[in-house]
Formats: sequence, C-alpha cells, structure tokens
Amino acid sequence: MAQSLPIRLGAAEATLIAQLTSVGATAEAERLSIAGLPTRRVESYHYTDLKSLLKAVPPLGLAANAASAPALRVAGAYQLMIANGVIQSSTTAPAGVIVGKAEGGALSTRDDVLVHLNGALAKESLSLTLENSVDPVIQIDRRIEGEAAHVADSLKIFVADNASAVILETFSGSDAAHVGNHATYLAVGKNAVVTHITVDLSARAVSHFATNEYQLADGAKLRTVTIHAGAALSRSQVFARFAGPGAHGDFTGLNLVADGQHNDITIDIRHGVAHTTSQEMYKQIARGRSKAVFQGKIVVERDAQKVDAKMMMQGLMLSDEAEILSKPELEIYADDVVCGHGSTCGELDADSIFYLMSRGIPKAVAETMLVRGFIAEVLDPIEDAALNEALNGVVDGWLLEA
Amino acid sequence: MTTPILEIRNLHARIEDRDILKGVNLIIPPGEVHAVMGRNGSGKSTLSYVLAGKEDYEVTEGVVLLDGQNLLEMDPSERASAGLFLAFQYPIEIPGVATMTFLKAAMNAQRKARGEAEMTTPDFMRAVKTAGTELNVDTDMLKRPLNVGFSGGEKKRAEVLQMALLQPKMCILDETDSGLDIDALQVVSKGVNGLRAANRSMLVITHYQRLLNHIVPDVVHVFSDGKIVESGDKDLALQLEAKGYADFDGAAA
Repeated sequence: MAQSLPIRLGAAEATLIAQLTSVGATAEAERLSIAGLPTRRVESYHYTDLKSLLKAVPPLGLAANAASAPALRVAGAYQLMIANGVIQSSTTAPAGVIVGKAEGGALSTRDDVLVHLNGALAKESLSLTLENSVDPVIQIDRRIEGEAAHVADSLKIFVADNASAVILETFSGSDAAHVGNHATYLAVGKNAVVTHITVDLSARAVSHFATNEYQLADGAKLRTVTIHAGAALSRSQVFARFAGPGAHGDFTGLNLVADGQHNDITIDIRHGVAHTTSQEMYKQIARGRSKAVFQGKIVVERDAQKVDAKMMMQGLMLSDEAEILSKPELEIYADDVVCGHGSTCGELDADSIFYLMSRGIPKAVAETMLVRGFIAEVLDPIEDAALNEALNGVVDGWLLEA
Repeated sequence: MTTPILEIRNLHARIEDRDILKGVNLIIPPGEVHAVMGRNGSGKSTLSYVLAGKEDYEVTEGVVLLDGQNLLEMDPSERASAGLFLAFQYPIEIPGVATMTFLKAAMNAQRKARGEAEMTTPDFMRAVKTAGTELNVDTDMLKRPLNVGFSGGEKKRAEVLQMALLQPKMCILDETDSGLDIDALQVVSKGVNGLRAANRSMLVITHYQRLLNHIVPDVVHVFSDGKIVESGDKDLALQLEAKGYADFDGAAA
C-alpha cells in the first residue's frame, strides 16, 4: 500500500532538492521530495540508512584550481585529474588513449538515489577510449578541493575489443565535509582484459559515494577492486552486466573501517547471457566503533544457462565494538547453473599469533602479518609491481593509524 | 658449575580450572639432549606450551630459567629472542603469509631484539638455501603460504628448518615424530642431530621410543600426572617400551 502521508524531509534532503531545482532537474527534485532519501526500509539501503546518516549536504562545488599531488603515487602511471567535477588532463596520453568530454552523466538509468543525483548534477563526463592495449597504469585522480562542497562527477571508459588495460581511480581532496557522488561507466570490449581499481582515500569528514557500472562483451575479462580506506560515510556500488558469452568477472574489494566510520560496498552482478562466469571476493576489516557493510547480489537471468558464480565475504573484527554486516543474495531464473555464496566473520586467530610470536615476532608485527595475509587474496592478483606496492601501502597506512 | 641452559623448579600450571603440571623439576646442562616420555594426557605437551608462553595456561607456582634468565616474565616473542624454540606437534597453517616472508621476519625480529643488525637479503637467501638443502626443503615450498597444504613431513621439515635458521640455545621438540613415515623421520632426525652442539640443549617430547633411536638422548625422563617420576639413561626408554608406563606410574594403561 502506498504511503499517503507526506514524508518529513531533513536538512540534507531540503538542500538536495534545492540544488536539483537550481540546475533545472525538476523531475529529480520532485522524486526526492516525495520519496526522500532511502531508509533501512529500502532493501538495497537496509544497512546504510542515508536519511539518518547523511545529515547535511554542502553547497554545489565550484571549479577548483587544485594542483596538489595525487593521493596515491604509482610509478610510471599516466595521470588524469578531475577536481570538483572539472576535468583537467595533465600528462601526454599514451598511444591509443583518446581523452574527451561528453555531455551529461555516464550511468544507465536505474532506481537508485545516488544514480539519479549523479545523472542530474554531473554536467559533463570525462570520456576515455582505449583503442588498443595500454601498458602504463591509467590513474584517474578524482578530487574535491577547497571548502566543503557537494560534487558530482562522471567518467566513461570504453575499452576496445582485444585490448588490455589497468585503470586506477583514486578519490581524495581537502579535509572538509564534502559530499562526493562519483560515477564510472566502463564498457569492456570483446576479449578485452581490464583491471579496474577504485581507492577511496578521502579525508575523514567526507561522505563518499561512488557508482561503477560495467558492461562485459563476449569473452571479456574484468577484475575490479574496490577499496575503502577513508571517509566518515561511504558507499561504493558495483553494477555489472554480462552481455556476451565467455565473459568472466572477478569482483573483489577491501572494506577497511575504523572508529567512527560507516563504509558500505554494494554489488549487483547480472549474468544476462549463458556461459558467463564470475567470482566475488570481498574482505572487510573493522576496528574501533565502526560499521562495515557488504551487500552482494548475483542475478542469473532466465536464458543465462551454464553460469558459474561464486561469492565470498570474509570479515575480520579487530574490536568488540565493530560491526560487520553481510547480506548475500542470489536471484536465479535459469535452471542449469552453479552458484554459491559464503560469508564468514571472526577475529585474528590466537593460535596463529602464538605461532608467529613463538618465532620471535612481536605481537603487533604478528597481527599486521596476519591482516596482510587476510587481504592477500584480494591484492595478490594485481600484477603491476608498482601498483601492487602502492595498494599494499594504503593498507599498511590504514593499519598504522590504529 | 656452568649455568644450565634450562632450569625448571617446582613448576605448576593449569588451564581453566584443571591443574596439569604439578611440580616439574628439570635441569638441562649445555649440550645435553633430554627426552620426556609419558602417556597421552600426562601433561608433556602442556609443559612445552607453558615453556613457550602460550596464553591459555596459567603458571601457579615455580621458576623457569633459560640460561639464567627468568623465562616466565617474558612474552612468547621475547622467549624466542632469548633463545627458546618450540618445534610444534601441529605447526599452524597461516594462509596469505609466504614461508619466506615469515622466515625473514622471524630472523630479523630476533636480531633486532638482541640489538643486532638486520640480515641483508643475499645473506638471508644464502642461509635459507644452505639449511634447506640438508632438509630437502626446496625454494618452491618456501614460496608457498606458511604450512598451508604442507604434508606432515613437510611441516616437520619446515619446523627443523626454522630451528636451523634461528639457532636457538634451547630446542623443545613436541612429538616431532607424529605424522612422519620412516623416511621423513630419518631426514628430520638428521636435521636435528646436525644441530646438536656444545652450547645448545634439547628437550625431546615423545611417547614412542622409536624417535630416540634416531635422536639419541643423554637423559630420559618419565612423565606422569604432571611431573617427572623417573629419570635414567637411554636404556630407560627401552624398558618403557618393553614394559609400558604402568610400572613407572602405578596406573593401569
């Protein structure tokens, strides 16, 4: 039954409605004024009640003239920067990389408030076309600089058939109560091999939202790594669609959550055609009083026979006050598929700590080794040595903050 | 008189509410190999865990000195750096930590604790290669995660390899023969015998005499109900094997 009473709108919602109206997105403004931000009654936001978590939204960001160093340095990488939604390309593009701009946002329409907001507010998209294999890591440095700002930015990447590439996105900026709403659309061509890594390194006052949409053509191989290592509140959404037979996806991530943080990784993987496979492997580590959320949905459509999909979430609790929430969902409409999911949660193993200590390794070092061992499955497949080292550095940095 | 490498006086320990060690007295002079034999549940393995400092056990009484230092005041890593080594009956599998990484971390942690400089990578590799050759441990095994998927024999060889690299003063071998076939037993025993030295002592815990044919002890102790009830030379082990434990501890087998 439809709710007939008008809902009470909070400060964040009022600001968002005014911002949508100011850019002429009246339909979006109206939708938000009727529905409000999602609460835990909306299944896909069950553990991340935006209505209560997002208390305020700062003014829409103005162009920033940021020249600060990238949040993560990867030796040999080709870098592009988007600051406060404005595209600033820097170094010379490697051969076969075409950098351009497109009007509007990047994501397909779907019933999701972050997608709606991004589509209404992102005025242009950075477009990146890879015509052939690109050796250097492509780093897109997305920043929000200056005073607290609400920034929506957007990126479209097309990887040509048979090409291969490693694409890294880093999110960072000034230490203010920004709200970032970032979108990435990535189309992986036939038999193309792509690794796409997103790392949130935002300051602790920031609310970070990112939506990554993937389209996989025949025989495409995609590996995604979603890393949360910043922001007070964050949510990364991974929406993937298998559109051609023979495609394979490894969807992975690390949700690192410390005192006072609420970080959410939500994935929705759709096997739309037969003979496609995926493996989902997410690790969450929580310490202090914090909340780590993983929602993993795999959908196998009616004609998608012979799909093989396995999802795993493993949580590691480093404090008694931490919460790790995990919700796996399988929706299978085909009848000849192999699908599975698992979810585990625990503390560091006392016997393992004792064993390492019995060899002379001090307790703190032993714990760090075990945590690194816990996440190795996610980072080890990153073959580029400089990138692998940089990502391990992010994890080490997070561990050292404790 | 020279300081014993290990001196245990009236050691009592419990786990939860159960008293396991009930007054252990043991002195091991430098260079000697002592064996502790006893039936299952007599407290032999508890003795090894208490010496290594496992948290689950509470020492209620007694003194343990390692080369004159108060062992019970140290945490497990400090005990290791002070020269104690426990070869585990069931070495722990640690996924995600490469054996090589672990070995280097352990060696350098001990050197650091003793105020020595860290080992360079070439020196480390050379040491691992030398020790590995004698124990049939190849570099492929060392690239695998620590003990993960190792066979029983591989695990025990890896334990002795660690012992060879860490050069402890006092080695405790807890049921090192369990899970080993004859060939593996010979390789492991050869490795252990190669580490016998004038300034290194060993405590070999076992309930079969078989191991003691390979690692010949200077002294054999019979362990029963949480303490040593009889001590003798290596022939004591043969008598035990022939007659069973009942003659020594009075309980029916």
